[in-house]
Amino acid sequence: MNLQPKHKSTSQTIINKSRKPFRLPSAAKLLIYLILILGSLVVLYPFVIMILNSFKPGNEIMHQPLSLPEDWTLSGYIKVFTSLNIGTLFKNTIIISTSVTVLNVILNAMVAYALSKLRFPGREIIFKVVIGSMMIPAILLLIPTYVMMFNFGWVNTYRVMILPVALSAYNIFLIRQFLIGIPDAYIEAARMDGANEFQVFFKVIMPMSKPVLATVAILAFMTSWNDLFMALLYLRDESMFTLQLGLYTFKTTIPGQFLEQLWAATTLVTLPVVVVFFFMQKYFIEAFSSAGLK
Amino acid sequence: MLKNIRRETISGYLFSLPWILYFLIFLLYPIFLSFKMSFLDINIVNPEKARFVGIGNWIKGIQDSLFWKSIFNIIYNQAIFIALTFIIGLGLALLLKEITKGGSIFRTIYFLPVVTSVAAAMIIFEFLANPNGPIQLFLLSIGFLDQPIYWTFSEWLPMPMLAVFNSWKWFAVQMIIFLGGLYNIDPSLYEAARVDGARWWTQFTKITLPLLKPQIVFVLTMNLINGMQMFTEVFMVFDLEGGPYNAGLTPVLYLYKKGFDDMSMGYASAIGLLLAIVILIMTTIQWKILHRKEN
Repeated sequence: MNLQPKHKSTSQTIINKSRKPFRLPSAAKLLIYLILILGSLVVLYPFVIMILNSFKPGNEIMHQPLSLPEDWTLSGYIKVFTSLNIGTLFKNTIIISTSVTVLNVILNAMVAYALSKLRFPGREIIFKVVIGSMMIPAILLLIPTYVMMFNFGWVNTYRVMILPVALSAYNIFLIRQFLIGIPDAYIEAARMDGANEFQVFFKVIMPMSKPVLATVAILAFMTSWNDLFMALLYLRDESMFTLQLGLYTFKTTIPGQFLEQLWAATTLVTLPVVVVFFFMQKYFIEAFSSAGLK
Repeated sequence: MLKNIRRETISGYLFSLPWILYFLIFLLYPIFLSFKMSFLDINIVNPEKARFVGIGNWIKGIQDSLFWKSIFNIIYNQAIFIALTFIIGLGLALLLKEITKGGSIFRTIYFLPVVTSVAAAMIIFEFLANPNGPIQLFLLSIGFLDQPIYWTFSEWLPMPMLAVFNSWKWFAVQMIIFLGGLYNIDPSLYEAARVDGARWWTQFTKITLPLLKPQIVFVLTMNLINGMQMFTEVFMVFDLEGGPYNAGLTPVLYLYKKGFDDMSMGYASAIGLLLAIVILIMTTIQWKILHRKEN
């Protein structure tokens, strides 16, 4: 979705204004900025507290919640690696999130390609099923999927965290909307050159749909990285735990015992997604804004 | 020509295959299994002892006051959350549309809570809001509060507090959807209205709101479907009972307790289906209300 003003008259007013560089902003504009800045402070405050706490010793976190750290310390960060083994949690989470992301990009794109560019009997039915399945509340699947995974003997494996979320109806829908906009001529030309459908898909379709694939990758990565529920259900051994499950365990085993570690871990868990977000925010925001265009 | 059509048909099915398999294994079969299990008294540890109980689980679910308490809690929560997020989201979208500089900085900041995990955000929120936390200490020091509030142990406060938390976490998504909708409204409509002497409020109710309807319908529907299934937020803070008054008990937390703590999977399946029916009824009612005005 284009978030910039579309209409010429708006951009015209912008240009007109910029010709008078010394014009003071009107009171209304000032008020708008004031509210937006106030909003930013409310949004940022909890993150500031998180980072400050991660540098405080345990007793300061408990007893001086309002002040800056008196002794800045890295002990929380050191302890999460030495005594809580957060390295393993990172490893597990990275394996799971990366697999989910790669599978989501390739498999959803394949289906979207079939549903937008290939003609075959039953295509419309398959598309209707994709759309309809977006309305299924996930909760309905929880117990039976667990029973199924239990019977497969998949509990406490990586695949149980990956395969049930390897595709997503919403992502198929997003990619399909994008592919419809690609002219068939590109595909025809590749076929003329003797490419088979897989070559067309990997050499023509995938490279051309990079923006939407980036969006899908980000959505899949973020959902997988942030998931606690599936990890809680399926992962048993601490050696298999993900970061979010680790956070939950640090918080609940003995309340208050791992205070330093908890805040260092919370910061470490949050940081990677935030960094990815900063570099790819265009696609992030796209991922959510495309939703409103149906 | 015929050969081409055949080739396209075969590759069509081949490329759709991942979805067909996924749908059959991870969506259709579980739904079937869910219905089947809701008629059984089944414990996953020894499934051979499963016993057919007919509609027993369903009757038990309908008569289960804790289940309905959890439904009440989540509706109470959603009413506050949806109203709050709607006002914040639309309000900030209207403001962002007015400014020409710095909009992307604000969007970036506002999106930070969206990308943070619920678990991490809930750890921070609980710290901030607890009786010894910075917010309450500050409110006590300026005399706004007489005494600290133990909100997790209270009868009525958990759901409003969680609604505030979730508004903080998710308002940016709605803001961005509304902002996209606002940019798609033709500015000449507003100009015409101004020529006719329409005030801001009239423009807002006669132009902005009606033309934002697709986005509003989408946001409200998605909110309801997702919001009714709240779990991690309460799981991070409450025990499986949802606190002393069950005030933090959501339907999914209850289902989790029944299925994985009490190990009665058949009953949990029935509760899941009942919840899905409640969600369906509520989205239908919402849909009817939102589409009524046109007639």
